[in-house]
Amino acid sequence: MTSETTSPAEADAAAAVKREGEVGGDALLDVRNLVQEFVLRDYGGARGGVLQAVSDVSFELRAGETLGIVGETGSGKSTLARSIIQSPPPKQGAVIFQGKNLVGLPRRAMKLARRNMQMVFQDPFTSLDPKWTVSRIVEEPLIAYRLGSRHERREQVSSLLDRVGIDPARYGVRHPRELSGGQAQRVAIARALVLEPKLVLCDEPVSSLDVLVQAQVLNLLEKLRREMGLSYLFIAHDLALVKQVSDRVAVMYLGKLCEIGPVRDIYRRPMHPYTLALLASIPSPVPASGKRGGTSVISGELPSPLDPPSGCRFRTRCPRAQERCAAEAPELRPLGADGHLVACHFPVTEASGPRREPAAATH
Amino acid sequence: MGGPLGQRVRRLGATPPAPAAAVTREGEVGGGAASGRQPAGVPLLEVSDLRVRFRSRGGVVHAVQGISFTVEPGQTVAIIGESGSGKTVSAYAMMGLLPRTAQVAGSIRFKGTQIVGLGERALQEHRGRNVAMVFQNPERSLNPTMKVGSQITEAIRRHLQLSRPQAHERAIELLRLVRMPAPEQRFHEYAHQLSGGMRQRVVIAIALACEPALLIADEATTALDVTTQGQIMDLLLDLQQQLGTALVMISHDLALAATYAEEIMVMYAGRIVERALAGDLFGSVRMPYTRALLDAVPRVELEPHVLLPVIGGRPPDMVTIPPGCAFAPRCPDAQHDCVQAIPPLQEHEPGHWWACWHPCGKEAPGDIGDDLTGRG
Amino acid sequence: MAAPVASVAVGLPDAGGGTPQRQTRGRGVLRSLEITIPGGLLLVLLFFCFIWPLVYPVPSPTYGSVLNANLPMWSPGHIFGTTQVGYDNMARILYGGRTTFEVAAAVQAIGLLIGGGIGVIAGYVGGITESAVMRVLDVFIAFPSLVLILVIADALGQSELHVIWALSVFSIPFTARVARAGTLRLRDQPFVVSARLSGVKAWRIISTHIVPNLMPQLVTLSLLGAGLVIIIESGLDFLGYGIPDPAPSWGGMIAYGQTVMSVTLAPLVVPSLFLFGTVVCLNLLGDGLRSRWGVR
Repeated sequence: MTSETTSPAEADAAAAVKREGEVGGDALLDVRNLVQEFVLRDYGGARGGVLQAVSDVSFELRAGETLGIVGETGSGKSTLARSIIQSPPPKQGAVIFQGKNLVGLPRRAMKLARRNMQMVFQDPFTSLDPKWTVSRIVEEPLIAYRLGSRHERREQVSSLLDRVGIDPARYGVRHPRELSGGQAQRVAIARALVLEPKLVLCDEPVSSLDVLVQAQVLNLLEKLRREMGLSYLFIAHDLALVKQVSDRVAVMYLGKLCEIGPVRDIYRRPMHPYTLALLASIPSPVPASGKRGGTSVISGELPSPLDPPSGCRFRTRCPRAQERCAAEAPELRPLGADGHLVACHFPVTEASGPRREPAAATH
Repeated sequence: MGGPLGQRVRRLGATPPAPAAAVTREGEVGGGAASGRQPAGVPLLEVSDLRVRFRSRGGVVHAVQGISFTVEPGQTVAIIGESGSGKTVSAYAMMGLLPRTAQVAGSIRFKGTQIVGLGERALQEHRGRNVAMVFQNPERSLNPTMKVGSQITEAIRRHLQLSRPQAHERAIELLRLVRMPAPEQRFHEYAHQLSGGMRQRVVIAIALACEPALLIADEATTALDVTTQGQIMDLLLDLQQQLGTALVMISHDLALAATYAEEIMVMYAGRIVERALAGDLFGSVRMPYTRALLDAVPRVELEPHVLLPVIGGRPPDMVTIPPGCAFAPRCPDAQHDCVQAIPPLQEHEPGHWWACWHPCGKEAPGDIGDDLTGRG
Repeated sequence: MAAPVASVAVGLPDAGGGTPQRQTRGRGVLRSLEITIPGGLLLVLLFFCFIWPLVYPVPSPTYGSVLNANLPMWSPGHIFGTTQVGYDNMARILYGGRTTFEVAAAVQAIGLLIGGGIGVIAGYVGGITESAVMRVLDVFIAFPSLVLILVIADALGQSELHVIWALSVFSIPFTARVARAGTLRLRDQPFVVSARLSGVKAWRIISTHIVPNLMPQLVTLSLLGAGLVIIIESGLDFLGYGIPDPAPSWGGMIAYGQTVMSVTLAPLVVPSLFLFGTVVCLNLLGDGLRSRWGVR
């Protein structure tokens, strides 16, 4: 990365980042109080409601680790990823990447700062230009950053394609529609890696792939992670999948972070009722004693994101909700193991007593 | 479920919706008078050597190459396969929904009546009355310009001779049956006003309007959130109990099938390659393809950052039928004879069928190969 | 959640994560009849209008002797007969065709370049620029096009060039609208977002990503629009606003044919058939390409 003179504000941010990096190394990515909103237009263009897709989300990602973000429809996880890469930029908050706050950076500085952050999208057939050939697609970032001569670029593209399992001689001149889903996604991964980034945001990268192909691509991502020392922000709805790839996991619901912590801890000792409900809903391939597993523990419907419940957003479906939950939004607090944070007034711990009568879920 | 997670769920304090009767899925084939099933003997659906071909630009696509199975009344069967396995085409054939460009051979008998070759009018009668289907995307199944209630009454009145107020009442009953909150209100709403789970409930209500004996769910929960998926699957199974409907679930999700189906059929390249009761299938997998599927699925029990055991390659394109077993090119246990003759699907053990010359034993898996990331 | 990639149409075999979406190259454009027949006919017509007179001594369309006036069809040396002052009708058809094609090509080219350019830039940049541009275009679109064209043509005076300007006023906003809509759709596609993330400059994104993906839509639109342009142009000529006499034009010939309709039908029917045939071929070609390229 080229060195540049930093403004006083940036120096402050960098210093703040250094202060907060107490546990195990510097934070590669430090997201603070991120808010993303969309203004909905009524018919005729009048201003309708405001949808707050991401509400005050903060977390850190350290170098070399994979943070999995899990959530269902309306959780805001994809919007979170797009806000981090500033496409579109968030309404509020800071995204401090390698010491620089990306929010509000002028275009040239943004381009430099973003070089080490790339993204892999869910559907490879819309994330690759259908009119371009595979080689050209992977080469494009190198051209944009003016790296290397033409010959060097071709070499790098070839070797990278090879590395992701695509034969450059056979497939370099093909178009995306001539590839299978798995192959196309490998090309997308190659393109994301050609600049040798530090952080790769993966937004449901394997959801549109078949089971066996999915495993191949996951293995590829893992292999590349080890070889290139990558950090991933891995977004998915599949809990088992997220566990497979992550060091830490964050659970989102209706735009807020419910729980975040080391992966084993989250899966063995989940504390937020929503996390528990999610885990309980996973159908398991080895049914225990033939009984029906994966029964739904959660009731009710997802509230409208336009008008979320007051206080804790999960309270309308939570069996442990009390009056306090409607009055006061819970803060993310450390609880239990190191680095495990929960946003809940009545988290489920070993110490918590038997079931209380759930309060009426009014809104 | 047991273990620490189970304890935490209990501590969470939620009561899962109680099924109509304590459900154990083992040993229920042909029994269960309390569940309202007819005694075994007359299969509800009998598919015999079904073959489906399509003409396409690249040649003739052999989508289904001779599958045979039966579905008993009230049974829950899952058909598992990846893209191109022929599972969806088979489902459409059972419904009589294949386009005219499809060439269908073989036999599909519903309660004894042959479906293949039926005229369009008879097929319309068959669809909805005997068999109904729930598709993956409720947005596509529901008319966005019509109130959802009207779509249910439309289905009712097409097959049953009911007056309008009677149909309306029945529609509300159905909405209650599918556990739709505030059914009278929802009746007058449009699809876009409902959530994904609610839309799927409407689709199920439409499917059940005339109490068909067989319900086909084609990836019905794939597009839903995992929590909603649980709700909908529970609903489907409870409805089965109440109405005695047989359910055929089409999916790519083995875990889902394991949890909800009694019998599972695995399809690959247009054929059934393994078929067994759910417990037997997972307890003693025989077909290497099934085992590959099982191994490749991330499981919560596994540790993170572990490489999944997976085989390389891709399923064959259905235009050129490879000689011998279609899975042989990718199979870690393949031998010489595998590419010479197609292994027939046979009941090698009671209730457990497979089509493999060299099935897996119960011991350690075969040689997986070094390159777990696969090559393009 | 999304299912494994599978084709959507009922009954069609899945071609998803396991197999490529398009395995064979498919038959080329040339093999489908709905494209080759109208395309071929147009090419033949173009040949005769532009190239044939260079190699074969076609009489001048504005030279003739009164002695040869009003010859009927199939007269020796004048296949389509002659006009009241002795001009050869066949030559008038061919040279009139030249005008027709020139105007159509020029108007559509201007529409593509200027209109398309404006639309793409407005769509990509967005904001105030886009709103301003679109409102200006809206003004032009709001006018009844025929009236607007007539007014402009009248104001500018009769000439082929002025006809082209007048018709461009019509085609530019039209193309701009379509280009803008297409750009809006493409701008949010992940592959464009990806390119932005990779640091590609805006003009490069527009020229290498957006425009190539818009081309099928714009080309088919141009072809379909060309038919319309030809009809309007002929209308202008028919009304006396377009190409001035004695220069030949199909519309003018139809106007003349109308006056002698009760006596002889050929002067009316022949240019009408040519006009009709050309427009139909253009429409068929445009439609054929549209379905071949899968443009919505």
